[in-house]
Amino acid sequence: MVTVSQLDEGAPKPARSRLSGYADILRLTKWEMLAEETILLWVPRAFAEATDGLKRRGFIALTGAAAASIIPAHAQAMPVIGYLGSESPERYSSRLGAFRDGLGQSGYAEGRNVAIEFRWAQGQYSRLPSLAKDLASSQLTVMVAPGGAEVALAAKSATATIPIVFEMGGDPIALGVVDSLSRPGGNLTGVSSLSVEVSRKRLEFMREVRPGTKVFAVAINPASPTSASQLKNLHVAADSLGLNLVVLKASTEPEFEGMFAAVHEAQAGGLVFSSDPYFTYRSRQLAALASRRGVPAITQSRDFPLAGGLMSYGGDFHQSHHHTGVYAGRILKGEKPSNLPVQRVTKVELFINLNAASALNITFPSSLLSSADQVIE
Amino acid sequence: MSNTAPRSSLFIRYFSTLFAAAVIPLLIAGGSDAWFGYHDQRARLNDVLDAEARLAAEKIGDFIDGIRDQLAWTVQLPWSDNPGDRRRLDALRLLRQAPAVESLSLVDAKGKERLFVSRIGLNRIEGGDDHSTKPAVRGALSDRTWFGPVTFQDGSEPFMTIAIAGTRAAAGVAVAEVNLKFIWEVVSGIRVGRTGEAFVLDRPGRLVAHPDIGLVLQADEAAQKPLQILRAAILTRSGQAAAGQDIAGNMVMAAMAPIPGLDWSVIVTQPLAEAFGPIYTALRRTGVLLIAGAALAAILAYWMTQRMVGPIRVLEDGVAQIGAGQFEHRINLATSDEFERLATRFNEMATELSVSQERSERINRLKRFLAPQVAELIERSGDDRVLDGRRVEVVAVFCDLRGFTAFSVRAEPETVIRVLREYYDALETVVSDHGATLINFYGDGAMILVNAPVSCVDPALRAVNMASDMQKSMQSLLAGWRALDDRLGFGVGLAMGLATVGRIGSQGRLHYTAIGNAVNLASRLCSSAEDSEILIDRAAASAVGSSIPLIELDPRTLKGFDQPVPVFAVTTGRAARTEI
Repeated sequence: MVTVSQLDEGAPKPARSRLSGYADILRLTKWEMLAEETILLWVPRAFAEATDGLKRRGFIALTGAAAASIIPAHAQAMPVIGYLGSESPERYSSRLGAFRDGLGQSGYAEGRNVAIEFRWAQGQYSRLPSLAKDLASSQLTVMVAPGGAEVALAAKSATATIPIVFEMGGDPIALGVVDSLSRPGGNLTGVSSLSVEVSRKRLEFMREVRPGTKVFAVAINPASPTSASQLKNLHVAADSLGLNLVVLKASTEPEFEGMFAAVHEAQAGGLVFSSDPYFTYRSRQLAALASRRGVPAITQSRDFPLAGGLMSYGGDFHQSHHHTGVYAGRILKGEKPSNLPVQRVTKVELFINLNAASALNITFPSSLLSSADQVIE
Repeated sequence: MSNTAPRSSLFIRYFSTLFAAAVIPLLIAGGSDAWFGYHDQRARLNDVLDAEARLAAEKIGDFIDGIRDQLAWTVQLPWSDNPGDRRRLDALRLLRQAPAVESLSLVDAKGKERLFVSRIGLNRIEGGDDHSTKPAVRGALSDRTWFGPVTFQDGSEPFMTIAIAGTRAAAGVAVAEVNLKFIWEVVSGIRVGRTGEAFVLDRPGRLVAHPDIGLVLQADEAAQKPLQILRAAILTRSGQAAAGQDIAGNMVMAAMAPIPGLDWSVIVTQPLAEAFGPIYTALRRTGVLLIAGAALAAILAYWMTQRMVGPIRVLEDGVAQIGAGQFEHRINLATSDEFERLATRFNEMATELSVSQERSERINRLKRFLAPQVAELIERSGDDRVLDGRRVEVVAVFCDLRGFTAFSVRAEPETVIRVLREYYDALETVVSDHGATLINFYGDGAMILVNAPVSCVDPALRAVNMASDMQKSMQSLLAGWRALDDRLGFGVGLAMGLATVGRIGSQGRLHYTAIGNAVNLASRLCSSAEDSEILIDRAAASAVGSSIPLIELDPRTLKGFDQPVPVFAVTTGRAARTEI
């Protein structure tokens, strides 16, 4: 086909932008004119430009500058629990187990996210204050003072700033450890059991076991801060029960032998131990002595009947030490001891050892047997 | 591109329309979904919390009922003067069975304490104290069961006295001190949702039981204020869960249920974040779906708009190019729709335009080189193939002015040019009237072809008539010119015969002409003709026949012809002149 450009080489092309520009030059047919109109209606020039522009601009890429928040990884020093024990780790082992259970319940495990610094008085309670001071001088997050009023008081005297969690049998208010159970105030809180308060119940139980006797011996540790109040309670109870008491004192192991001998000398029906950690941690020893001497005895701790003693009535140390662990954990988490009310372990448990009873020729009345939490046969 | 582009564009219009068409229903659906979802979830939350509260109340009620049932055992039989050991064993067994009971006193019908057993204190048998005026005993005797107010031992541990009277007055009353701390075991076991909890408030709004036993033991009424506010908030919306703050100040949803028999309220709470977690999750999901839907709609709308606008752009570009004269441009659209049809139309139009343009160009070009009459002829016929070379029988007509050369020497150039222009005009008019083709002017002469390039009927007759008209026309002109020069005259010669006709020429010039004996003869006849004379050869004369009267003159010896040529003359010309 012959094209215009072939025909008209070199001639400048007319730069017409509108069809109408050549509509008068070329004879457009009717439909060509119509088509032109259609185009003018349908194809606004800006159309192509707009789309073109949009294409050029493209989509706005939203590049969110991801602010990399780098949390400075401070080497978190492991919190340290200072554990003040009045005895040796061996004697504390069951309590330590309960304590670690409670700590674990709060999410702490020794060596994993908490360190425990131990101080052991090895039964020499006079050493407790200096050990407590020693502990307080190291970097502690919390001091745990389980095992009686002596430990709690020693810890209290050592620091007024480091939070202290105590565990004891007596009334913390009466012993001057805290001012209030609900709002302990200061840097102390802890767990108390009802062991001290129930020493009179031990006398009552002993009387039931030995109904024919009016004289009973009572073992007191004069070194204990609770001894005076317990002795008073026991005397009141003895009066109301119509009994006579022989008070025997022992604050060291060598005195135990003499104490058991004195029971026989006094012709007492049995030996009722007041609540005292020193006695409690020597339950095995006491049980052995009691069976050797043939003395019916009752102490505060289940350890005693479990070791062959006759019976026990007192607070559940497993619970109290467990709660101590829980509280230590809560303080590690940042709670203030003043906001943690002193917890009282209300559970009081009666343990009876029937083997010991038969060795002593004792028949337990059914009222006791039915009340017992555990009967060892 | 033009910068007078309209600001609004189809792209934006179509895009927004399509986008809106997709997004608005999506928004409506998403919005209503979120709205109804919220209300459903809110209603469900109400139901769940309400059920949890009632369940918790039932559990705590069961706890209290358990103690009450235990106590009821101890007041089944009437008191005798000597009750024996059985009562004591029952009482001790109760302490064993119900650990929350710290102490129990049994009072006979007269209100005397007959038995007291305790976990802490010493047991008493036949204590004999008069308890008949104590509210517990009086309450139990009148209502069978009596619940004392909650007291906090040592300001910490919650205790409550429960007294229960036997079915018969003679059975007396059992009064138990209950350590409410034991409800903790019940309350701490209640889980509302994942992290929700339950707690118990007594009638004045003191915390009796809470999963965090420390809060109870603190017995701090000021700290428990939020819980009382929460309870009040629930009470204002009967049966509905209410939002409020718990003791730690966290926002919670809470519902409440009373404990039957006790004026206690069990409140279950669930952190707002957890309670509305499913709603938020649903809202987030809806939001993400909306965003995704909107994005998809945008992409689709963009795509659709592109599909719509793309072809229009191609069309526009194409039309612009065609408009700019590029008729070879073709709009390539394969959209199988109206656009493709439109593009096809445009392409057809471009083809037509191209053909028109080409034709016009060629004619313009021809016009430049050919005699205007020929060019016009071709333009009229629209086909220049008539100019192609061929052998055809033509009538060649030659004419010229007599005495013009002498006149042109004498006369002023303006006069010469004017005379020539009038002469040409007159000739052209006549030639044009007769449909003949004026091949060329040369000086005072002209060559005219009849039957070529456009063939006609009876060319000889037509040629003779034309010649006559030419003479007529010229003679009248000459009459006007006599004043200038009376020696001017006009002669015509025509001959008929086969001749080769066609375009001849070089790159720069183009001629349409005829070559043949008839052409030569006509030219010679014209030279031989005198003023107002029309000389015709034998072929033309015989072709004319008797239509026009002709006079046969003596054969003449013409240049280039060996033999004398027979010559005819049209009488009219001379007659006309004679008349003038």
